[in-house]
Amino acid sequence: MSTDPYSPRVRALFAQPAHAGTLEGPCRAVVDEQNLRIRLFATLENDRIAALRFKAWACPHVIAAAEAFCTEFEGRPMEELLDFSTSDLMQSLPVPVEKTGRILVLEDAVRSLGSVVRETLNPDSEED
Amino acid sequence: MTDNERMIYLDYAASTPVDPGVLEAMTVAMTVDGNYANPSSTHSEGRESIELIARAAGQLAELLHTSPERLVWTSGATESDNLAILGAASYRKDRGRHLVTMRTEHKAVTDPFSELEKQGFDVTWLDPEADGRLDIDRFAGTLRDDTQLVSIMHINNETGVIQDIASLGELCRDRGIVFHVDAAQSCGKLPIDLDALPVDLMSMTAHKFYGPKGIGALYVADRKGVHVEPLLFGGGQQRRLRPGTLPTQQIVGFGATAGVALSRMAKDIAHLTALRDRFWSGIKKIPGVMINGSIDHSFPGIINVSIADIEGESLLLALEPLCVATGSACNSKSQEPSYVLRALGRSDELAQSAIRFSFGRPTTEAEVDTAIELYCSAVTKLRYLAPEHAA
Repeated sequence: MSTDPYSPRVRALFAQPAHAGTLEGPCRAVVDEQNLRIRLFATLENDRIAALRFKAWACPHVIAAAEAFCTEFEGRPMEELLDFSTSDLMQSLPVPVEKTGRILVLEDAVRSLGSVVRETLNPDSEED
Repeated sequence: MTDNERMIYLDYAASTPVDPGVLEAMTVAMTVDGNYANPSSTHSEGRESIELIARAAGQLAELLHTSPERLVWTSGATESDNLAILGAASYRKDRGRHLVTMRTEHKAVTDPFSELEKQGFDVTWLDPEADGRLDIDRFAGTLRDDTQLVSIMHINNETGVIQDIASLGELCRDRGIVFHVDAAQSCGKLPIDLDALPVDLMSMTAHKFYGPKGIGALYVADRKGVHVEPLLFGGGQQRRLRPGTLPTQQIVGFGATAGVALSRMAKDIAHLTALRDRFWSGIKKIPGVMINGSIDHSFPGIINVSIADIEGESLLLALEPLCVATGSACNSKSQEPSYVLRALGRSDELAQSAIRFSFGRPTTEAEVDTAIELYCSAVTKLRYLAPEHAA
């Protein structure tokens, strides 16, 4: 049993967060909860997510999760942001159960980004 | 190159490697060719073991300027602290129920005091000043007619701040109050003269200054009213204060550790001061970096720094392969900000960003320079990652 709190994948994502940064434009989400600060930025192309960037004041697991999310969601339909769940990331990274609350802050940020994106594309649409 | 080869250990306040000469001395008391007999046995081999233990007690007593008869062997500083605090409070409970300590003490002290509080003792928990030191006048103001025990640590394990135990002890002695000092971080690192210091009980451990883990000692002054009730029962060893078979090899190791410390303390202090000053010179230019505690009143082997706008756990990982500490080693698995740094008035965010760098005999200038580079680059990376605060 490993005593290392960080898996090789978490270590790799934390060491090289290629999607750290910002993007110009209106598609951004700001979430400050549980003593974390997460910012997500997106650009769109034909209803798809062209690029994602993030900024985070957070622990290594959240930074790794944010980087993994950005890597996996670039190129996908923007609607998928609204259905984003961290359960897959929790298992694949993995993230220890005591940090579930922190990872859910990322989930909130992604869904918030999804709402902003939808509003940007359909400014007259109403909330579900 | 493996991680272990690249590793730079700057966590000497948590533990130290055993000095090679100490290890050699210990083996004499472990193997078939040496003195492995039970020191309680009356045969010749047992008596030889007792002689080894007496020699070790003499070495530790020489380091501390006291008599070997005043030392009680324990398993380490935690047991010594428990024996001193619980044992003295129990022995003196009829003389008063008021106890005094600081919020910045090690858990080995605060937890026994919390336990005594549950038993009905009245505990005054003192906060330090912003520099980590205890104000002498404020301390004097807390002492009462029914105060029977005070416990203040010598060197703080997180910040390295040194308390003025001579002045604090003088106030206690004037009032007939027993004064206990947790010297886990100072024994063998700073000069201690128990003949001159007004200290009644002092806790020590070997592994903080190049000795083995699992062995400590409690000094009990030969003074009226100073005594501790035992916590353990089951044998007549050590005047029944701490029964159990004496671990000859551990005690021999502690004695040898004391001997080495005595011979090179001034050299060690000079070495650590040069390293600490080099490190601080290398990082103090970073905006938002600050020392926790007073650098002018601290042990040079420890420097604890916080930094604005940096998340502590990420900083710790970004600093690898440095082996450093957030909070104390005993508390570092907790994600709560250090209670010691909170008591110094640091915000949760600054306390959480704190890293304790502690240097030792084997630390080199090149390692310190690497630590400076790693700290600067980690801060740059994490500040780039961190967003602005929401408007």
